[in-house]
Amino acid sequence: MKQPKKVKNVILKTGFYFILLMIFIYLLFPFYWAINSSLKSEAQLQMTPATMVPRDPATNSISPYLSNYKVIFQNQQFVRGLMNSTIVATSTTVLALVAGSFAAFALGKLRFRGKKPTLYMILAMTMFPQVTVLAGLYAVITTLQLPAITSMILSYMIFTLPFTTWVLTAFFKDLPLALLESAQVDGATPFQTFYKILLPLTAPAMVTTGLLAFIAAWNEYLFALTFTSIDPGARTVPVAIAYFTGAVARQEPFGEIMAAAVVVTVPIVVLVLVFQKRIVAGLTAGAVKG
Amino acid sequence: MRTNKMRWLTLLLVIMLMVGLLAGCGGTEDPAPEEPAEPAEPAEPAEPSEPAAGDVSITVAAGAVGQELELTQAAAERFMDENPGVIVNVLDTPDLAQDRLGLYLQFFEAQSSEVDVYQIDVIWPGDLAEHFVDLNEYGAGDVIDEHFPAIVENNTVDGKLVAIPWFTDAGLLYYRTDMLEKYDFEPPTTWDELEEQAAAIQEGERADGNPDFVVFVWQGDSYEGLTCDALEWISSNDGGNIISPDRMITINNPKAIEIVDQAAGWVGTISPTGVTGFGEEDARAVWQGGNAAFMRNWPYAYSLSQGADSAVAGNFDVSPLPAGDSGAGAATLGGWQLAVSKYSENPEVAAEVALFMANYDNQKIRAVEGSMNPTIMALYEDDEVLEASPFFGSLYDVFINAVARPSTATAPNYNAVSTAFFRSVHSVLTGDTDATTAFEELELDLQDITGFDIE
Amino acid sequence: MGSKKKHSELAKREERTAYKLLIPALVILLVIAIYPLGQVFYTSFTNRQFASSQETEFVGVDNYKSLLSMTVQKLEQEVDPDTNQPLFDEEGNPVYERPIAVLPREPIRYREYKQFSLFGNSYVLGATDVDFIDAIFNTLLFTVSSVVLELTLGLGIALVVHSNFKGRGATRTAMLIPWAVITVVSARMWEWMLAPNRTGFFNTLLDAMGTGNGRIAFLASSDLQLWAMVAVDVWKTTPFMALLLLAGMQTIPDELYEAAAIDGASPVKQFFSITFPLLKPAMAVALIFRTLDALRVFDVFQVLLGQSQYSMATYNYFQLIGNRNMGLASAIGVVIFIIIFGFAIGYIKMLGVDMDETA
Repeated sequence: MKQPKKVKNVILKTGFYFILLMIFIYLLFPFYWAINSSLKSEAQLQMTPATMVPRDPATNSISPYLSNYKVIFQNQQFVRGLMNSTIVATSTTVLALVAGSFAAFALGKLRFRGKKPTLYMILAMTMFPQVTVLAGLYAVITTLQLPAITSMILSYMIFTLPFTTWVLTAFFKDLPLALLESAQVDGATPFQTFYKILLPLTAPAMVTTGLLAFIAAWNEYLFALTFTSIDPGARTVPVAIAYFTGAVARQEPFGEIMAAAVVVTVPIVVLVLVFQKRIVAGLTAGAVKG
Repeated sequence: MRTNKMRWLTLLLVIMLMVGLLAGCGGTEDPAPEEPAEPAEPAEPAEPSEPAAGDVSITVAAGAVGQELELTQAAAERFMDENPGVIVNVLDTPDLAQDRLGLYLQFFEAQSSEVDVYQIDVIWPGDLAEHFVDLNEYGAGDVIDEHFPAIVENNTVDGKLVAIPWFTDAGLLYYRTDMLEKYDFEPPTTWDELEEQAAAIQEGERADGNPDFVVFVWQGDSYEGLTCDALEWISSNDGGNIISPDRMITINNPKAIEIVDQAAGWVGTISPTGVTGFGEEDARAVWQGGNAAFMRNWPYAYSLSQGADSAVAGNFDVSPLPAGDSGAGAATLGGWQLAVSKYSENPEVAAEVALFMANYDNQKIRAVEGSMNPTIMALYEDDEVLEASPFFGSLYDVFINAVARPSTATAPNYNAVSTAFFRSVHSVLTGDTDATTAFEELELDLQDITGFDIE
Repeated sequence: MGSKKKHSELAKREERTAYKLLIPALVILLVIAIYPLGQVFYTSFTNRQFASSQETEFVGVDNYKSLLSMTVQKLEQEVDPDTNQPLFDEEGNPVYERPIAVLPREPIRYREYKQFSLFGNSYVLGATDVDFIDAIFNTLLFTVSSVVLELTLGLGIALVVHSNFKGRGATRTAMLIPWAVITVVSARMWEWMLAPNRTGFFNTLLDAMGTGNGRIAFLASSDLQLWAMVAVDVWKTTPFMALLLLAGMQTIPDELYEAAAIDGASPVKQFFSITFPLLKPAMAVALIFRTLDALRVFDVFQVLLGQSQYSMATYNYFQLIGNRNMGLASAIGVVIFIIIFGFAIGYIKMLGVDMDETA
């Protein structure tokens, strides 16, 4: 009786880890390929067949090429871009989360007239392709005479704020009302209710939305390209990468681009490592209520 | 009472946020909203050197490529040494022509005076003419005859000199000297010859156990580069110039149809099927990896192919592109010009800067130090230039005979014309249709776009 | 009476609080978005040229007409002018008129989009802007395929990560990496992997496995292009879907599962009776935003396919930046907007999650 169950468990476990392994390979292999490419010189990239690790074209021995990394860290604009991107993406995320969670609390938990139109209006802001609104946006930025960094933060609201608002609304809506009501009976203001009860309960949603919004802002290219064109000091990482050039015009420094891709992904990985625990923390906070 | 307090709280929060953000602050990586108000810090990046009172500041938007940018900055320095009271800033712009154009258009739409001098592609003078001053009114007339006439004609729109030529480009045939020797061939002078040689080399190399060998690579993707390549085929076969300078649509003619059908035959035989997705860099990657015997490309690939880690270094040479029925090869004209913005606050000074950068001495420095092809004819006989880049001498004939794309005749619709053209040729190359059908339709499309008559 | 008054007083207070909470979001969006969006709508009814001093005229719905007009014309069988007999080719198939001769040219010209046969007759479907119709079709196919795959994979990954095992934190982190790689750069990375020769990973792999000749043109062949796009996009954005679904799963109380387990419900049954229904709101939001992004897909198409196949957004870019045809480009933007709006409403109705109901 006990034996088959154990066997079944082993099979299930093996199956589970096999699936996990497949998921890892699927998600990470292309990134591995980027690392691989970032360690190759132009000649190594042009080798046929492509090699799984950087190899010397003549001797076929393993020989990683580190120049790509050296070059990008000597590129002032790229290093500066890392800082600019951090500023822009962080401010965007904070602003989108604050404004978004306020709005989402109203939309998810309070009764008021005109809720549906408000929801759809907010969503509608993000339904145009970026390039369509670019010209109008550029006119607004020029009229308001905003500096490049501020223009990026504000214009990124177009795609982050509707996102945070909608996601948080969906999560707020499902929160148990009993807690809120008891808080109200205790004489807490809606703001207190929001900070003391709602926020800890919704930590997983907040962290998730925040991470996704942060990455979206971190990766944005078209707006940043346009708004920083006249102010090279404000360029973000994707723009700085677009300005990478080879030794001569037309040459595309593919190895350097890949090196930059790897370097730029690291801060995000760190960020996720720090915050992924909060997703679980939210769970525990939810358990307290019981 | 409480509502009042709440109102103020909300207001305060919003204001604090706005102020914080306007100051371009940030710092903490914590997306938790408990701390919405951030410490404001004056993080605005340093502005490019502000002019002192009385100084004139000129901004030149130019290429961002390492050495190219350095050369431009050096020229700006020289101008400032000679002209105290003028500050020349060089603004780097994306290397991708399309991104660069997108950026320029935003400036023009806003009629921005931020940029005074623009580096523009050889196909833009017609489309962008209205945003630039006539350089003839600023003293370009004295020097313009030194430049290649084809480029000057290209840059002249309705009698107005829109831009001064700066450096040029034209299509070349790269061939492997070691391969031709191995198979005992002379460099091909006609497309038919190239086809024959290619077929023989392909058979030989594949038999020698190199499955990656593809013989002839060029630019077959659906983009401006295909317009250049296809125009070379058609022009070398006496098939006209798509749209003639006197504004007649000439593309639907037997000579053009014949050569484009012939080129379609290369795809999957002497050229890989993937060539219909190739740009310049894809072709160079195959070539420089040693997997092709012929390549159509711009002069930029020369120095890279001679590089230390190139598989073809020392084993190749360049020649004019092969000929069709016209008896002579044709090369499409490329390259960059300098134009002065109409919205500039100091067009006279800006024009001075543009003309200075494109003058004999400065083009010479660019040719010697950056092997960029000058547009001033005399420089192809200059000893120092020839010493630095010996192959420049053989390029003179290519440049003087280069064919301009019909960008000036079709302005301001060149982009639409070229897109219709390369998409049409692309559909022939991929085998979706044949050139007879494709060009019959294309002719009508071009008429819709330009309103010109069909010849 | 008194309690009712008190109740409405409370309701009013609640309403006021709601409006106040909405202020920051609405102010930001209005300041930054109202002018650009309004301008797009207005411009779509004009012939405005981008970056041009040309006089702008109001042209009504002309832009929409030239984008979307379609027609069906019957193709008659060709008749031999000498014998007056219907013509057949060498294989005995009837020869029909050529579409280019049949399709109307005035007042706007129709181009051939597709030919088809129905009840023994031959027809041609003509469109004024074949490229845009193609772009719509490509984008819809791309959107549906990639969103379905992303939902399936994302749900699978979320379920795996949701379960308790060692290394869960590392997995959650690894899970987000594809989404974290800068879009423009990841497109370049895939371009290199999909290279049409053995410098690319896939051709090397397939060749090593003995299939393909090492020269498959993934990005240049019209059969493979769109699927390559789907593959790239699914890889890139599955994490987005997975993370949102995971967050949704975290908010489902464990007690529900425990109770179900006591009742003897199998994991599959638990999934359908607990996870799925409670996940619906999160799923709806994830689907809406993924679909919205997929319908506006730009970077991947722009980098990998350029102008050989358009998505709606790259066609828009081409008309605005390339052709500087701002009126037409704005109309394209509005069409995209309408399509997206339709999808959003469809999801909300389909999944039965009415965002506006108050629990």
